[in-house]
Amino acid sequence: MQSAKSMNEYHGEIQESLDNSFLRQALDKFAVAYKANRLTIFADINEKELIKEIADAKDESLDKLEDLYVQFKAEAEKRGVQVHRADTAAQANEIICKIAAENNCKRIIKSKSMTAEEIHLNHALEGEGLEVAETDLGEWIIQLRHEGPTHMVMPAIHLSKGQVADTFSDETGKKQESDISLLVKVARRELRAKFANADMGISGANFLIADTGTVGICTNEGNGRLTSTLPRVHVAVAGIDKLTPNIHDALRVIKVLPRSATAQAITTYVSWMTGSAEHSLNPDKRKIMHVVLVDNGRTAMLKDELCRSALRCVRCGACANVCPVYRLVGGHKMGYVYIGAIGLILTYFFHGRENARNLVQNCINCEACKDACSAGIDLPAIIHEIRARLVEEEGAPLSSTLLSTVLENRKLFHSLLRFGKFAQRPATGGTKFIRHLPEVFMKGQGFRALPAITAKPFRDRWAEIKRILPTEGKLRVGIFAGCAQDFIYPEQLEAAVKVLSANGCILDFPLEQSCCGLPVRMMGERKAAESTAIRNIRAFDPARFDYIVTLCASCASYMKNTYTEVLEHHNMRTEAQQYATRVRDFSSFVTDVLGLTEENFTKSGETVCYHSACHLCRGLGVVKQPRYLINAAAEYKPAPEEDVCCGFGGSYSMKFPEISGQLLDMKLTNLEATGASTLVADCPGCVMQLRGGEEKRGNKLKVEHIAELLARQLK
Amino acid sequence: MANIDKEAVDLFQQKAAPVSIKIVEVPGLDEAMAYALEVCEKKQPCELIPVAEGKFSAGDGGDARVVCVPNLSDKEYKTFADLGQPKGFTILRKGMRSYLSGIDVAFTTAGAAIADTATTIIESISEEVRLATMLAEIHVIALKKSQIKKSSYDVEDYLQKIMEKGPAYTAFISGPSRTADIERVLTIGVHGPLELHIALVEG
Repeated sequence: MQSAKSMNEYHGEIQESLDNSFLRQALDKFAVAYKANRLTIFADINEKELIKEIADAKDESLDKLEDLYVQFKAEAEKRGVQVHRADTAAQANEIICKIAAENNCKRIIKSKSMTAEEIHLNHALEGEGLEVAETDLGEWIIQLRHEGPTHMVMPAIHLSKGQVADTFSDETGKKQESDISLLVKVARRELRAKFANADMGISGANFLIADTGTVGICTNEGNGRLTSTLPRVHVAVAGIDKLTPNIHDALRVIKVLPRSATAQAITTYVSWMTGSAEHSLNPDKRKIMHVVLVDNGRTAMLKDELCRSALRCVRCGACANVCPVYRLVGGHKMGYVYIGAIGLILTYFFHGRENARNLVQNCINCEACKDACSAGIDLPAIIHEIRARLVEEEGAPLSSTLLSTVLENRKLFHSLLRFGKFAQRPATGGTKFIRHLPEVFMKGQGFRALPAITAKPFRDRWAEIKRILPTEGKLRVGIFAGCAQDFIYPEQLEAAVKVLSANGCILDFPLEQSCCGLPVRMMGERKAAESTAIRNIRAFDPARFDYIVTLCASCASYMKNTYTEVLEHHNMRTEAQQYATRVRDFSSFVTDVLGLTEENFTKSGETVCYHSACHLCRGLGVVKQPRYLINAAAEYKPAPEEDVCCGFGGSYSMKFPEISGQLLDMKLTNLEATGASTLVADCPGCVMQLRGGEEKRGNKLKVEHIAELLARQLK
Repeated sequence: MANIDKEAVDLFQQKAAPVSIKIVEVPGLDEAMAYALEVCEKKQPCELIPVAEGKFSAGDGGDARVVCVPNLSDKEYKTFADLGQPKGFTILRKGMRSYLSGIDVAFTTAGAAIADTATTIIESISEEVRLATMLAEIHVIALKKSQIKKSSYDVEDYLQKIMEKGPAYTAFISGPSRTADIERVLTIGVHGPLELHIALVEG
């Protein structure tokens, strides 16, 4: 549970995690194993199609949630179950405490429920003098340690067997060995007595099926079955978003949920409880069964067009499993109760701004979560939206306001960048890196060298370049430079100009273009995001260009995927759509549009490894093309985890340098291990990060943009 | 002759192995029963778990093996008892609340099965079924080949009928009880059975 009061405190907490070598090792192993197992377990089904179906079905259910509630209540009550609805967490706790009191329950056993964690149910029950025992092994361990979960599915993933042995030794009063199978036996033994003597069982629910009033629960351990069988009273507690129309919808989710959660085809047990089942100890031989549906802000979220899709979440935890930041810091620093990307979002809605303010900043926007989400939720977009709301409600930090003001005025922005090249002179020592900036500007940035601003930006070179370019060709292509290439790496653009102009493109570079706007969007600066988008759309008249090509994966995916959304309520929406359709990244443009093949390049013996930019492979789905091109021009050396973020994330690397630096280190270690001499990437931001890191690590790899390699080897 | 989807049967067997399900093929239900008794004979005596400090629910940890057959018909139960009692086993159909410390074997018959997840479906509205299949160290399920369908969508109608009628407690079981909550190491037998055997019955 992340509880820092300020950003400084949060940085302190993050550092603690980064220094925890067991946690780091455990989460590293998990991240690598999960991805491999996930690939295998999804091999025999059409993952994307199924996820789309789930998303659509969930949206449909959310549209008629009230009807589903009425139907579920009627059907469940027909079969002997009492259904309650709680508007708030406090009400839910009150209802459950009352059920316990009315039925004279003293000892309670629980099987896993994130909703119970959300409403802090244990706290409420213990406040009434009730004895509560968690029975999911992981939950029991953290309960004994008075901790919150660090993962939604594997709550104790942060603990070693030694720590668990110590905890169990304290609990049982005798020394327990740190042998996992023996520790599991301890739990089997200790918890059996709790099961045998409990008078009330509390479980969560994965599904509430409206047309039959059925409660569905997935577990591996079987504790859900015992919890719902042994005690006289069973209470299932769940968010109202778990309502689903019929068994078909539930079975569809089960095809994905366990696969995404733990790479299992299905959990060992799925229990479908329709009505109150037999119970021999009650006078009427029926179990006393209650279902408590928790709203706690969900109905309000339903009306929130931009964020309601978060209610599709099936709580698989995949967004944490693939998150590079989670992998470094663990769940206690990457969530309040709910963890991972969805945790950042749900904390804001369920646990308030105070708890969410720092957390929502800690998304690097690599989109790995969006790619893995069982319900197709665009998690990074919702996180950006929440940042925007926090900015609107509470005012932006000075840095963000400054950036917005500057970006909204292209001339001012570009003048500042030009001025930068003079201002930096004492700092660069005549090299391509900034070396001597005062500490105040460089806080925590020691992990990489920062590049210097070029003496002559691309926009100032353009008139000269253009003079010698062909004016005839098959395609009219507008170059979108993005800030990094225009003002730091113009040579990358010149390389691209060489490749494109030699292959039938008539090139132009509209000077009115400016920053794509992604940095302000990431900071939640809505107005600045709009005005930068409009500026660029105006700069590239659709009548003049067949394509808009950019060498920056982040600019490309942002302009292509998000401009229409940014301008959704603006009268330039149509133009935004026209613009987005024309935008292409460099690699896929070269292969798929220009049709260049290995015939067009001289294959050299240079060994080249590749970093797959987040916004290229996930943002645009461009995976094969750059690898094909590298192999056409040189010897491609594959590296492990090519598609994991390099840690740049734009302003993220300034905000969380300790995390950015670790990600960069892991990335370069993997890449250097290939033994290649050159590293290429499709994004100037990644190049900046990777080259800066290599500069610090002794330049074992020459880092460049893929366009530079291709220009060199072009026949 | 019951309709057997051979592809589904093969798929079920293929998917069962990775989730620690042991499968044997037998000609009929009688042989499935004999198999369950043989499993019971060969196993170590049940490791009884105290239900309170130093207190066990039933059994003295001695040699008497306890087998529960909670969902057999009267006739099937008689056959089972006739086979098991001569071996000195205690054969029960109910009373599982007196055996919370554990029993040796539960033998049940399945209602349906899903091949692509190696899932057996057992209707468990009866408390005895739920308890026996959790308290037993080994659970043996007799499953007819004709009951195996390829995917979960193929058993939808079957489930819908049961649920519409209700009350019902329908269990999907796809292996022995397991956890990976400590260091993500897969460990079998947390709260429920340590082993799951499926006797695949012809027909």
